[in-house]
Amino acid sequence: MSYKIPMGPYHPALEEPYKLDLICEGETVTDAKLHIGFNFRGIEHLAETRNYVQVIALMERVCGICSNIHTLTLCQAMEGLTGLTPPPRAKYIRVVIAELERLHSHVLWAGIAAKLMGFKTMFMTCFELREKVMDVLQAISGNRVNYSMNRVGGVNRDIDDPLAVLGMVEALEREMVRTVIPIFTTSSTARSRCAGIGILTHQKALSCAVVGPTARASGIPQDLRRAAPYAAYSEMEFDVPVEQAGDVKARLLVRALEIMESCKILRQALTKMPPGELYAGDGKFDFTNLVATTSTSRVEAPRGEVMYSVSWKQNSRNPSRVHVRTPTFANMPAIRWMVMGARLADTPLIQASIDPCYSCTDR
Amino acid sequence: MKLLETEPKETLLEILSEKLGTTDSWEEKGGVHWLSPDPLNVRELAAAMNECKARFITITAYQLPNEEGFRLEYHWDLDGKLLGFPFQLAGNSIESIYDLCEAVDWIEREIHEGFNIDFLGRDYEPLLLRQGDTPGVNLREEVK
Repeated sequence: MSYKIPMGPYHPALEEPYKLDLICEGETVTDAKLHIGFNFRGIEHLAETRNYVQVIALMERVCGICSNIHTLTLCQAMEGLTGLTPPPRAKYIRVVIAELERLHSHVLWAGIAAKLMGFKTMFMTCFELREKVMDVLQAISGNRVNYSMNRVGGVNRDIDDPLAVLGMVEALEREMVRTVIPIFTTSSTARSRCAGIGILTHQKALSCAVVGPTARASGIPQDLRRAAPYAAYSEMEFDVPVEQAGDVKARLLVRALEIMESCKILRQALTKMPPGELYAGDGKFDFTNLVATTSTSRVEAPRGEVMYSVSWKQNSRNPSRVHVRTPTFANMPAIRWMVMGARLADTPLIQASIDPCYSCTDR
Repeated sequence: MKLLETEPKETLLEILSEKLGTTDSWEEKGGVHWLSPDPLNVRELAAAMNECKARFITITAYQLPNEEGFRLEYHWDLDGKLLGFPFQLAGNSIESIYDLCEAVDWIEREIHEGFNIDFLGRDYEPLLLRQGDTPGVNLREEVK
């Protein structure tokens, strides 16, 4: 006899509200239905009521983890409207902040995954590591969540002493190699909870058009930093980790290896950062002289591709449309295929393995 | 079959034009490679994209001023190139491509709720709006 178990919208395994209706036969999940919309704030509509300064602050609040990525993508799209090109130093600073954000997002996720595995010691270790990254972000921007670094044509703040950040990068790298990666890959707790669980096959990953680490863990080598470089990524050397298994362990490994690649990118960006201006032009968004009325930008956020389509009328202070496609919006439907055939007890970890952000998804 | 894996990026677009049966040229604007052959059928477009192994990204809906209807912009990624295909809707319906492209499910449902646009040939369940709410109240200027 099959029965339905609702998980959520408010559940200890979920960091934000959403609902998963699990259809089970005994302890095995045979199907699942996802319900979102519990965080719907109408941000795209709100954006149409905000001017060119306010809209940047508004979109920074789409997500509490990758807030910088949203302003970066929006500002790049708005630069497409005005024809502004950020100066080289601003592009490097954008790379540094984006990679710091990726680091803290991935380490946060590793901590949460450890907690869901029942591995509390690793949870504490990861959160201690994440704190180091947060300290650096706070030192650079003065903020721990919404950094307000991006503006149209460049960045708001300089990194006065880029080499001082290297100490944190090295400490994080050391701890990842010494503790986190070996424990996640060799401990029997991690292996038994992650290996062969929540598989998203390569074919299903392609048909669901998943993005980011979820795609790369299913053998799809896509990364916009490589395929369509933005900011200063074309000047950085890094690898795109790809795993073939498509299970929770593969998603964990991809993120762990991406932490190492982020450290590699940070080291290059911090040591090669050119001197110069922080923003182009007079730092204003000239809505009276737009070179285009629609513009689109994409970046590789910690969870995958973010895309902004911005439409702006000449002489208008407000955008006429801002459309946001977040990575979790693309990845979440695949959860259904990941949990089918899984044990009920594994579903919290499986759904968490895509590193979902429901606030981003609902907007 | 990785049909286009070895082709240079410019050739990919030419091959795609050929598959769509058009000689119109691509226009790069606002970060997107646009192609708007007339007439273009959205289902033929989706089938051609599947053949090329392009990755579906999203659909962006715009309500046009003066009751001119809607514009839907379909976006795919082809080897790092962002492709865009605009469709002007005189009414408020267009054929669904859900049966051809699984990834389109949520965005079709979202646009249905946000703009009250009907994607013909599919069923809907509520996505962002909870059960009982009226579609077309979020982003449309007025509900008719």
